[in-house]
Amino acid sequence: MTLPPKGSRWPVGLAAGAALLLLLLGVVMAHYEDTLYSQQQQRSFQDLAEILAASVTAAIEFDDSKAAQEYVDALKVNPAILAAGVFSAQGRIAAFNRSGIAPLARPQSPGTRESGDNIISTTVPVEQKGHVVGFVSLQAAGEPPARRMARYLGLILLGAMAALVIAVLNLSQVALVSRARQLSDVNARLRQEMLERARTEEALRQSQKMEAIGQLSGGIAHDFNNLIMIAKGNLMLLRRRTGLNEHLRFVINADAALDRAAGLTQRILAFSRQQALTPRPIDISELVRGMADLLRHSAGETIAIRTDLQAKWLVSCDANQMENVLLNLAINARDAMPEGGTLALETRDIVLDRAPDGAEEVQPGSYVQLSVSDTGLGMSEEVRHRAVDPFFTTKPQGKGTGLGLSTSFGFVRQSRGYLTIDSAPAKGTRITIYMPKLQEQST
Amino acid sequence: MTGQTARIWHAVAGAIVLGALACNAGAQPSLEYAVKAEYLAKLSPFIDWPAGSFDSAAAPINLCLLGADPFGAVLDRAAGAEVLARVIAVRRLPSPDLADSCHILYLGAAAPALPEALGGRPVLTVSDSDAIPAMIQFVIRQNHVRFIIDEDAARRAGLHISAKLLALAIAVKRGPP
Repeated sequence: MTLPPKGSRWPVGLAAGAALLLLLLGVVMAHYEDTLYSQQQQRSFQDLAEILAASVTAAIEFDDSKAAQEYVDALKVNPAILAAGVFSAQGRIAAFNRSGIAPLARPQSPGTRESGDNIISTTVPVEQKGHVVGFVSLQAAGEPPARRMARYLGLILLGAMAALVIAVLNLSQVALVSRARQLSDVNARLRQEMLERARTEEALRQSQKMEAIGQLSGGIAHDFNNLIMIAKGNLMLLRRRTGLNEHLRFVINADAALDRAAGLTQRILAFSRQQALTPRPIDISELVRGMADLLRHSAGETIAIRTDLQAKWLVSCDANQMENVLLNLAINARDAMPEGGTLALETRDIVLDRAPDGAEEVQPGSYVQLSVSDTGLGMSEEVRHRAVDPFFTTKPQGKGTGLGLSTSFGFVRQSRGYLTIDSAPAKGTRITIYMPKLQEQST
Repeated sequence: MTGQTARIWHAVAGAIVLGALACNAGAQPSLEYAVKAEYLAKLSPFIDWPAGSFDSAAAPINLCLLGADPFGAVLDRAAGAEVLARVIAVRRLPSPDLADSCHILYLGAAAPALPEALGGRPVLTVSDSDAIPAMIQFVIRQNHVRFIIDEDAARRAGLHISAKLLALAIAVKRGPP
């Protein structure tokens, strides 16, 4: 739906102009009509005078005022005619005038004119075979202006009506446009809210899923761990009894397998946020610096490591687990850059007034930000979405457990921090961890 | 304008003449005849003669007198004052034989009887006496010269008399149309 821009008022202006034009046209037409009517009225009285003049030629020629008077008196039936007169060369031979009207004097010259008080005077020559033998004069009352105006009232009313209709149409048009604009605003807001709600629901579902998986796998892992411990204890007793013979080898193998199984349960506990942590205040910049050698070693020759460690604030977390997280992320980054590239490790102190873009779950506050970024393959939107799901992996069979990112995520969340993933195919990946700043309670 | 001026002059002259005639009857015609002379001269615009009555477009209207002439020079003056398409030629006829060349024929006192042949000719006859029958007869009513019109006779002669003139007549004789 397209709406005219809010500032646009051209239809109103146009309509007002049209209405004004109509009214103006009405006035002009009324004036024109009036002039025409006035001329016509003068013309009709002049015609009357000419008829009288043609009738009285013989009366003038033979000096018959009685006959002339009869012609003049015939005009009395027309109430508009106030006075009339027939004049020969000698003077007036016949005339009449209504009471209150002065008798007509012998006219000087022919012609028709209308005086200010709406009296039309007309004088025409009486001609006999081409020469003037006398004059006929008429004085008549024109239609008074009030009566004339009344006749044009219809026209003016019509114009006013048209103007009114246009005005009403316009007002309703303006109201409609503003209503439509309101509706479209409301609609946009509604759609925005629906979108946000859908996103929130999706996030809630994801977190519930993770919660369920975590509780389930955490419970299993605990029980499993106890069983492993029982198996390990029994193996230890068996080892003492067996002594140094060839059977000892089997016991050692079984023990090693149990150790690996124990490690696995530890990781399951980690992503289910149920692992036993021993948090203490640590400086993450220092932690990264201490791991530099190890990281360089595990990254390999083709990958350059760049560090930018500015964070000064302390955070409270389990240092060993944090190291594990860092190592996990570095290995993921390395695997994403088979052709080599740059692994960047950055830390800085940050105060968030609002959630950063693309990480709406992060609450405002003071954080130490740790980011691990690579220049590798990157992830599709779908992969990025599922990246922290346990057992989800893009690595070949047997190469990864699908637990690296999920355990890192679980640890960070258990430590009241946040982990966000920013990635796009061929654009590399940037993992950012926000750890809440440690509040100095003593000082 | 000159015609009008002449007319005014004429009217004034008529009034003077009236006074003059009162004490000098005989030598000059009375006011009555001055008016009649003027009317005679003014008749022609109200009469339609049939086609062929005039020899040419410029031919004069022959105003003839038969019998006694009561007008004298007044008629010639009145005829000369009329400004019309045709000139009015006043002819005093010695004998009725010449009457068929007239357009208007005034029959004065003791006018000889008209020849039979004139009956069908388009000649407007005028008299001022009951004794002499004519198409237009001048009469005096209330000190005004008026006329009686025998429209029937005029029509028989092929003449058409204007309704304007008929309207002024105190009587109009009409036969069956």
